[in-house]
Amino acid sequence: MIRVVLVDDHALVRSGVKAELERAVEVVAEAGDVGEAVEAIVRAKPDVVVCDVHLPDGTAADVIAGTAERGVTSRFLALSVSDAAEDVIQVIRSGARGYVTKAIEGDDLIDAVRRVNDGDAVFSPRLAGFVLDAFSADLTSAADPELDQLTAREQEVMRLLARGYAYKEIARRLSISIKTVETHASAVLRKLQLSSRNELAMWAANRRIV
Amino acid sequence: MNISLATERRRWQVPPLDADDRWVGGVAAAIAAEIGVQPLIVRISFAILALAGGWGLVLYGLAWVALAFLSPPRLAPYVPVPKAASPLHRHVAVGLIVLGILLGLRSVGFGFGIAFVDQIVFPLGFVMTGLLVAWSHRRDEGGVSAVIRILAGVIIAGGGLVALVATSLRFTDALQLLILALAVVGGTALVVAPSIVRIGQDFDVERQERVRADERARVAAHLHDSVLQTLTLIQRNADDAQQTAQIARQQERELRAWLYGNEPTTPGTTRLEPALQEVAHRVEANHGVKVEVVTVGDSHDLDPLAIHGLVAATQEAVTNAAKHAGVAKIDVFAEHRPDTIEVFVRDAGAGFDLEAIDPDRQGIRNSILDRMERHGGSAYIHSEPGVGTEVELIQPITTTRSDDDTPGATL
Repeated sequence: MIRVVLVDDHALVRSGVKAELERAVEVVAEAGDVGEAVEAIVRAKPDVVVCDVHLPDGTAADVIAGTAERGVTSRFLALSVSDAAEDVIQVIRSGARGYVTKAIEGDDLIDAVRRVNDGDAVFSPRLAGFVLDAFSADLTSAADPELDQLTAREQEVMRLLARGYAYKEIARRLSISIKTVETHASAVLRKLQLSSRNELAMWAANRRIV
Repeated sequence: MNISLATERRRWQVPPLDADDRWVGGVAAAIAAEIGVQPLIVRISFAILALAGGWGLVLYGLAWVALAFLSPPRLAPYVPVPKAASPLHRHVAVGLIVLGILLGLRSVGFGFGIAFVDQIVFPLGFVMTGLLVAWSHRRDEGGVSAVIRILAGVIIAGGGLVALVATSLRFTDALQLLILALAVVGGTALVVAPSIVRIGQDFDVERQERVRADERARVAAHLHDSVLQTLTLIQRNADDAQQTAQIARQQERELRAWLYGNEPTTPGTTRLEPALQEVAHRVEANHGVKVEVVTVGDSHDLDPLAIHGLVAATQEAVTNAAKHAGVAKIDVFAEHRPDTIEVFVRDAGAGFDLEAIDPDRQGIRNSILDRMERHGGSAYIHSEPGVGTEVELIQPITTTRSDDDTPGATL
């Protein structure tokens, strides 16, 4: 069974999410702030950390950095009510493998945890939209064109994700295998994380998307 | 005499004679009301001064004439300001008291003789008055006022010093008294200074807290009007899950709009995202489904007319999905490209066979396909029973002006 640590400053949210998750995964620890979270993760060494973006003493990015420093290799799934682009982009760029909003259904959340555990990327339509937006920005000053652009296929996949398609529906529509869709999604996520462009951060900071 | 807060009054005015509360001319009562003390105190002061060589009578007469001629006509009941609005009141009062004491001392003579009093005590009195004027300070006093006050104080004190030095018969006595006066004043300043500093600090802290409290009150007012009301509604409708969810969703939207307001930058224009969010909001409120709007490239303000048809068609498509698809969530994706806007409305619901639609039911044909064509755009509907439906709307955004449109969408 997948071992999960749950990080959220609202106990009520934690218990709700935990109730949903425990139908399929094992929640081994919970935490309410960055300090607690880093300790809990270092101690429990979970497979996946489901982490709220905003915490009382920092953000999910701080938790990711804090645990990476201590040599823990758990994978992160960001779970947040925040739709603000800068929050989403920041947490993805710091290494989270996916981003879903708290409006997500229980089954979809479990599915997302499984996918992150398998090393795949998890995109909500909104995250896909942000990615398209970020990568469609002016590319003239790109330091590394390889990283700073999406291939035509990746764009297509992102567009379908933004339109609300699930991976298997995308696979069917593009006549490719689900595995290939996952590969594209992971590649996009990696580009987002490794991208050297400053505009990405600026883009995120300049926009506040409801 | 009733003392209440004045609602509106000039900074300083000569008080009118008090006809209701007078022993002689009402002068004492008027002065008392203006400086905020009991009339009896003023009367006793005048009496003492009258005994001190008759000065009290002279002052009373002068004041009577001054008040009678200088005070403004009494149009409304005179409302004194108990705490003088201007430090001037205080200074006049202090000056009068010092003068009274000096005159009293002079008449008593202290056994030094009148010459001594005139040459030493009077100049010293001026010096001390000047210092008092220069040092008295009010928290909310303006810069100009402070400069004037200090200048006036320095002039008075300086005049006193000059008189003291110039006329003193016994310079050493004068010096001794000056040193004495300085010592008293300095000592007082040392004693008082810490508390004045503390008052200043308290004032700063207080002001900061007031600013914070104001902000808190603003947020609290908003939360009360919106969130708390909604929570109350939710409690009342706790049995009706659908309505509860609907109320909660609506509140979520409003709160998000308040927190991350995404207003167009130019008046009379709109942005794609807020226009579509409004559509989503309306459908969510009316049909109890969740509508997720994702926009890409939404960085320009648009002429509302240019996207009117597109937004109306989007609303129609989302409404159809909400009514017929039987799903809890509808995705709206809009991409703003350089010359077109594409909107996709997708549900993973029941789906239908486009060919099998009864020609009499014109909903889709009229409100979506025709509308888009009227506005120079195009629409495609992809649907498959059991898989879902996707409506694709394409709107070029250079040449779009249209006359009529059915109501339903406001931008």
